[in-house]
Amino acid sequence: MSEPRDEARATTGKSAENLQKTRLLRSESTKFQDHVAPPIVGALKRGSANTKMRTVKAIAESILINKCSDEKRMKDEVDKHGQWKHSTMGIIEFFVYKILLVGLYIAYGIFRYFQYQYNLMKLRILNVFYSPSNTPQLIRQDVRKLNKIPKVLASILEVKPVGDVGGGSKGLLNDGSKLVCWTVSAGIKQLILYDYEGILQGNVELFREGIYAKLSKYYGPYNVPTFAVKVPHENKVYYNLKGNSQKKSKVSIEVSLLSSRDGRETIVDLTKTMAHLYKQGDLSLDEITVDLVDQELVQLVGHEPDLLLYFGPALDLQGYPPWHLRLTEFFWEADNNQVTYSVFIRGLRVYAGAQMNVGK
Amino acid sequence: MLIKLYLEAPIVWFFTLILEIVRQVIYGLKHTMQEAISAFCNQSPISKVVLVVQNSLVYALRVGPVPDHVSFVMDGNRRFANLKKLPLKEGHEAGGATFLKLVYICKRIGVKCISCYAFSIENFNRSQEEIDTLMELFSRKLSEFAEKAKDHQDALHGCKINVVGNKSLLSAKLRTQIKEVEKLTDTGNTKFSLYICFPYTSRDEITTSIMKNVAATRSTPSTTEISEETLTNNMHLGPFSNTCDILIRTSGHKRLSDYMLWESHENATIEFDNTLWPSFGFTKIFFIMLKWSYYKNIQQYSETSFSLRKEILRSCHNFVKPVSVPLQSLAAAPPAVTVTKKKA
Repeated sequence: MSEPRDEARATTGKSAENLQKTRLLRSESTKFQDHVAPPIVGALKRGSANTKMRTVKAIAESILINKCSDEKRMKDEVDKHGQWKHSTMGIIEFFVYKILLVGLYIAYGIFRYFQYQYNLMKLRILNVFYSPSNTPQLIRQDVRKLNKIPKVLASILEVKPVGDVGGGSKGLLNDGSKLVCWTVSAGIKQLILYDYEGILQGNVELFREGIYAKLSKYYGPYNVPTFAVKVPHENKVYYNLKGNSQKKSKVSIEVSLLSSRDGRETIVDLTKTMAHLYKQGDLSLDEITVDLVDQELVQLVGHEPDLLLYFGPALDLQGYPPWHLRLTEFFWEADNNQVTYSVFIRGLRVYAGAQMNVGK
Repeated sequence: MLIKLYLEAPIVWFFTLILEIVRQVIYGLKHTMQEAISAFCNQSPISKVVLVVQNSLVYALRVGPVPDHVSFVMDGNRRFANLKKLPLKEGHEAGGATFLKLVYICKRIGVKCISCYAFSIENFNRSQEEIDTLMELFSRKLSEFAEKAKDHQDALHGCKINVVGNKSLLSAKLRTQIKEVEKLTDTGNTKFSLYICFPYTSRDEITTSIMKNVAATRSTPSTTEISEETLTNNMHLGPFSNTCDILIRTSGHKRLSDYMLWESHENATIEFDNTLWPSFGFTKIFFIMLKWSYYKNIQQYSETSFSLRKEILRSCHNFVKPVSVPLQSLAAAPPAVTVTKKKA
């Protein structure tokens, strides 16, 4: 029974070896386009530019923006005998529906305003309840109540507008190092930090200093936990600080830094490499299986995270490597816009309560 | 320490008990309320009013921004059957009916493409009996949909049905049926398409796309043609593979479970809902669509920087004469004199 499977594994092994020998053909398109966020996140994240007045204006003027096209005026209706008929709306009818839509928008807007205030209040109270104030013992105590924790934790971070509190790339580095401290204290060994533009990847030195400073605040300057910062895209690993980067056998936490380059772009590069090998005759089409691709992508990007925390107002995956999102549990707090401990611990709690049934 | 323990246990126990009782009561109340409302709405004069209201709400959404691609993960059929103490088959049956209802609503709102997760490759791990039931149900539903797509009287008329996924895992009979239905509904003019993912996983889809891309390099000299576009074009969902505007998953799990990874990891609005799939109705989908439309409207507004004043000025432009004054036509200026006069 196990024979064909072993054989398959053997062939996978061989083609994987071939793949490893050839260096991945990285394309050079590192120019970032602006990330287009889904509507809800885009509208909530614009910072100070997003005022109530603007929203009201947008709603009021929406009557004028959308053109009255034939396609929009199509209409399917059920008549008295339960049969469907197709017709078109008249222009007056069209505008009546438009006004109805604006009415719906206004009603929703008012509802949303109260919901938003309620959520903000909830978050504020939660922040008071869970505030570790640089104490690893408290974090560990919170985690001890859970019956399981994720093995690999991932988080999507993002740069806030420079004018806001905790904005700019400094704010991002600070958020990242805070998260590292919580993760170490919670006893999770692997952390993946994703930011769309790769700011963390570009400032590894600064980030290492940031982590070191934060860790020494939590654990005292004489017993800072050892950490490794990995940049899978450049295939580099950095240990601790720049000065004392002696490789130790065991690190307390491994931090991988990902960016949008590790997403679709890496899959494209892998395809190119495979095509190259295929042309040389080192790889046959039957050998390209889910297992092989998975093996390669784990090698190139890292493991699939168990839990993904997002510190934004509504779920926005921002081009996180698609292959690695298969069974990942998502957690975010509605209308939250800060990297806070309460979101972190509540995410872990939800994960502990979740049950996995693959396909069953 | 011991005293604290003695005290803590009963208090915690007491609170959990009270919480549980409250939860049960609320659940019961909610349930009876829902039943009463649905019974009330099903009476014939009121049902007509409900229909009229629903219709006007649907058309109101239609005139605003509308998503192109909506996707459903139909989760919770089995739990629904367990909850109502029905046989498993009925649960799946009810799920199918809900799907049809939602397709109607979405089509009338103006959505161009609907996809759904009908069966995962991982689902082959279920009991043989259930797999057989699902296959049989699928085959029946498929012919029902095909009939509706051909029927001029039906709202689904002209819809293009595609069954996508790793079809080599299906029986030969089912595969021929799928091929027939796809051929029958492919009328060239596709205003509305329906993609049913049947045995599908996203990883399988991506791998297949990679394989197709690699195979395509056989005839070309270099590998530079491979790009995001070519990979996307070889995904299963045809022109809708690049993005999925709204992805809805019912029954409360907050993960993708190997569905639409490529399509939804960039700018999809992902909605997780706690209701079980068979009870996912008009109100829920309407609310999700309204939310999307509301925010899309604001987003569009910031993108286009539409301004009423500018529009009016532009339309008034025709009535104002354009300026045309040649410099020579002006009267002669007085002679120029400097303060530091030098004798020439």
